[in-house]
Amino acid sequence: MKHVIIGNGIAGISAAETIRSMTPDADIVMIGDETAPPYCRPMISMVLEGSITGERLPIRDADFYERAGISPVLSHRVSAIDVEGKSVRIGGERPIPFDRLLLATGADPRPIRAENRHLGNIFFMRTQEHVRGMLQALPQVRRALILGGGLVGFKAAYGLLRRGVEVTMLIRSGYPLSQQVDSHAGRMILKELVSRGLEVRVETDVAAFDGNGAVRRAHLSDGTEIPCDMVVVGKGVLPALSFVPRDKIAVDLGILVDEQLRTTAPDIYAAGDVAESMDIARNSRWVNAIWPEAVAQGRIAGMNMAGRTVAYKGSLSRNVIRIFGLDVMTAGIVNPPEDDRYKIVSAIDRRRRSYRKLVFHEDRLVGMTLVNDIEQGGVLVALIQGCIAVRIPGEKMLAPGFNCRRLFI
Amino acid sequence: MKKVIVHPERCVGCMQCMPACATAHSRSRNLFAAILESPVPKPRIHVGAGLYQEGFPNRCRHCDPAPCLLACLPGAIFRDEELDTVLIDPDKCINCASCAMACPFGVIRYHEDCHAPPGKVVAVKCDNCFERQEQGLIPACVEVCKVNALTFEEPGEALKRKTDEVARSVSLGVSQAELPAGFARFALLIGHKRKELHVGRP
Ligand SMILES: Cc1cc2nc3c(=O)[nH]c(=O)nc-3n(C[C@H](O)[C@H](O)[C@H](O)COP(=O)(O)OP(=O)(O)OC[C@H]3O[C@@H](n4cnc5c(N)ncnc54)[C@H](O)[C@@H]3O)c2cc1C
Ligand code: SF4
Ligand code: SF4
Repeated sequence: MKHVIIGNGIAGISAAETIRSMTPDADIVMIGDETAPPYCRPMISMVLEGSITGERLPIRDADFYERAGISPVLSHRVSAIDVEGKSVRIGGERPIPFDRLLLATGADPRPIRAENRHLGNIFFMRTQEHVRGMLQALPQVRRALILGGGLVGFKAAYGLLRRGVEVTMLIRSGYPLSQQVDSHAGRMILKELVSRGLEVRVETDVAAFDGNGAVRRAHLSDGTEIPCDMVVVGKGVLPALSFVPRDKIAVDLGILVDEQLRTTAPDIYAAGDVAESMDIARNSRWVNAIWPEAVAQGRIAGMNMAGRTVAYKGSLSRNVIRIFGLDVMTAGIVNPPEDDRYKIVSAIDRRRRSYRKLVFHEDRLVGMTLVNDIEQGGVLVALIQGCIAVRIPGEKMLAPGFNCRRLFI
Repeated sequence: MKKVIVHPERCVGCMQCMPACATAHSRSRNLFAAILESPVPKPRIHVGAGLYQEGFPNRCRHCDPAPCLLACLPGAIFRDEELDTVLIDPDKCINCASCAMACPFGVIRYHEDCHAPPGKVVAVKCDNCFERQEQGLIPACVEVCKVNALTFEEPGEALKRKTDEVARSVSLGVSQAELPAGFARFALLIGHKRKELHVGRP
């Protein structure tokens, strides 16, 4: 049996390790365009921030491929898949045949449309290389502009503030992380960042950049301009699937997968940021591009590829962020639609600067936002993931001393 | 292999296990000296109250597979196979709290610790007192518990299975259909001696 895995991010790695542990003699080929040993993508923002160095990024040893008996094909990008002929193509080279194929190509930063976007010092922040570039530019940077208040834009802003750079953030909604948190938590985060020097401009976007080689100025859609010597584009990500034949493999925003992480083509699986699965809380298809889901999906895809039928129960959006004095943890639906079937329970504790909100759909917990009181968050996440009817009042789940034993009668 | 087993129905909520645990993980290993240490030693077991105000000593279950381990970004959490214990490497931990979001039992805390680099806040949880065990001692919480709410013994197969089912259902993202029949996924959260809970009912 020959397994081919495209993408050497955490989804691909988790799948490869699972396949290897279940079938000691299967052939495993891994194709990836990043050359470094497998590394922790979320931690690149800590390198920018200066709290760790680049040496701390690898999460597997340099001899990982050798030890796991994986044939690596690095620094290469897959350009096409032959679904019927069962092979993948890398540029002009000989096609690589497969019996089972995993698409674990992750996501690419969403591009922007502004004029002169190819000037120097305009960065995405997705790879180790990107951050290396940012650090090289940093000594000359005094004012940075962040486009987008999503997770990555937000982490870039935080990192640059910690480096003493003046940072302006442009966001469409009224507060950063609007996809992750509700307006109350959003305002708490905003207040914290502003108190540390962040400048925020809402409801505006960049129309053009100018500069001589490197960026010097951004012209905004509202007619104003901002001087800046670095720009970070953090407008979210798009599944990396340009090489996927859409007439043979069904694609929505991401590659559609079923309960066993199979795509619509036989013997082809998908996992991680590139895959679109059922979302447990929303009860609809969703791309949940987060690390723990990439791990879970990679493992389950690997088990199924190795021949053990295992069903995935669906994905759940969730995140935890620590910034300056705030800890923020969110999961599932944080801003429910106007609908009687949704019920919200919340608690604010000014002394502890904490805010917690639970979202119920009928008798099920479907979402939460926790600020500064996050230790029991995992209990709540497990409850959302388990789709279990909650039999105690929501207020009790926010009471001091709540623990996992209080959940059931 | 012997394990710490929690019997919540016997717990009287005296909280003796907490200072015993903190002391066992202090630099001096002595209660009176420990409270003067900096950072102040903190317990890895936390006594709370259940739904009927019965005592509830909550500690790491050393799940297999462990949800926290799979969620840890830098790979600081690992399983020591020999000790059958889930441990956190304080040098690798980046204090990201991904494990807090993953642990279905809410047993991880974040603070400075004498076993971590000075001044560094890290994730801290029960380590099965492996240092004491190496010296032939039993875990400190068990030693101090006067009512046998914590015991150190060979776990029954059923208990082990239940812990592992909960862990598996959360960590692998595997759906219920795939789990062996008869196990509600949250069986363990209910406590393995659910009936006895009625004792404390008002
Ligand atoms: C700055 C930052 C911070 C983040 N913080 C968090 C966080 O705190 N918590 C969290 O849960 N998630 C976080 N994430 C998201 C997390 O990193 C991703 O969800 C996770 O890395 C996805 O893993 P993956 O294996 O699916 O994809 P990726 O890690 O993107 O790996 C895919 C790999 O495939 C390669 N590839 C793509 N196309 C091809 C091709 N055609 N041929 C060959 N190779 C190809 C790519 O180069 C890449 O190396 C963060 C992301 C970033 C960028
Ligand atoms: S998930 Fe929680 S209980 Fe299980 S091993 Fe990790 S810390 Fe311990
Ligand atoms: S806080 Fe430490 S142990 Fe927990 S997930 Fe983050 S790095 Fe791992």
